[in-house]
Amino acid sequence: MVDYENRQPPEGINLGGVHPLRSFATLLVAAAVLVTGLVVVAQFAGAFAARLVPFATERRVVQGLDIAFGDAPADDPMRMYLNALAVRLAPGLDLPHGMILSVHYQRSDTVNAFATLGGNLLFYRGLLERLPSENALATVMAHEMAHVLHRDPVAGLGGGVASALVLSAITGSVGTGAAGDALSRTGLLTGVQFTRRMEARADRAAAVAVAGLYGHLNGAGTLFETLAETRSASHDRPGTPRWLERFVATHPLDEDRVETIAARARELRVPVTGPLTPLPDGFEDWLQAAPD
Amino acid sequence: MEQIGLFVLLLIVGYAFGRMAERRHLKSLIAREHEMNALPAIASRFPPTDRAYDQRLVSGSVVIASDHFKTFVSGLINVFGGRVTPFESLIDRARREALLRMKTEAQSLDAAYVFNVKYETSRIGSGRVPAMEVLAYGTALMASRTAAGD
Repeated sequence: MVDYENRQPPEGINLGGVHPLRSFATLLVAAAVLVTGLVVVAQFAGAFAARLVPFATERRVVQGLDIAFGDAPADDPMRMYLNALAVRLAPGLDLPHGMILSVHYQRSDTVNAFATLGGNLLFYRGLLERLPSENALATVMAHEMAHVLHRDPVAGLGGGVASALVLSAITGSVGTGAAGDALSRTGLLTGVQFTRRMEARADRAAAVAVAGLYGHLNGAGTLFETLAETRSASHDRPGTPRWLERFVATHPLDEDRVETIAARARELRVPVTGPLTPLPDGFEDWLQAAPD
Repeated sequence: MEQIGLFVLLLIVGYAFGRMAERRHLKSLIAREHEMNALPAIASRFPPTDRAYDQRLVSGSVVIASDHFKTFVSGLINVFGGRVTPFESLIDRARREALLRMKTEAQSLDAAYVFNVKYETSRIGSGRVPAMEVLAYGTALMASRTAAGD
């Protein structure tokens, strides 16, 4: 008769011998290094390649898309004033020949202004109505113009697309679980280090232009002081340490930007005091004017 | 910050409770496997021909779910490749538990053997923490009373 038996196999033959915490730590460090390294390379490569596109081509492509920036027509007094201010600031930024800018105006409560592709700048009423002087407005304007000068919008797009491709290639293999989320966040955190550098560079260039126009930097930091107050009144998180805020923020912190302006004034040997230039007569009416 | 804190908490809870449950389960498996060793579970399709046997399908199944720690580590392993060690212990325990449950059913039938033993697995969890069923089934052979009476 055939004899059948089940022998007890030795324990552990189907198990990995590495301690789970050790493999966890090794994998976490390796994945963070991999994602950070690849996103840095992708950001640099994407931004470099995008900046090779001539500005004239970029502007032509954007014009061809026929995007409506803002709701104010070209003959709107606010929009005309903003464009005139950009023209006054241009010499201080050494804008190259052919770099044409268009400033647009949107009547909404958003507290923001930004530069985007094709040399287009958009200012929101929510921001303009918080500015106490032309000096503060000129600082924002020069900052956004500096982004165009540095080709930051197109570089940001190129770097962003390249790093998003890299991230999707990596996180695609791990699915949308917690590991995928953690790697995506690592990649995004790496990405914001680049945008913050762009912002800091634009701040420095803006200080030169504003100092060139007014001869001093009084009022340049007012905007950031106002924004800091607005933020602390709305969604500031008292539990978040400043070093962490600095690390995760897309822009330098308001207090750092005020300090940058002061440091820049010392470098440029321009005073931080001086007469403030008032906003033009009718500015308040232009703010409230209804769109045509 | 809150999200990161919750995520770390889930990892710690997953690791601590997962390890504790795993150790306890392994201890129980080893003890029950020793008890059940007298009832052989054989993969062969050909039953012994020394005498007549009654046959009955027996099965045992178990559903296992991963924890946040195992799922997270296995996700990271997917980036680099290699053995997905966090799931190896989980699947090993599930397989052994399913077999023991099948044997328990066979034992209740006074079976002498279980032949043609097979395993099947199917993923049943589609959420962020995967779950899987392991099913063990086979043919229990009981000494035929009819044949013995002839």
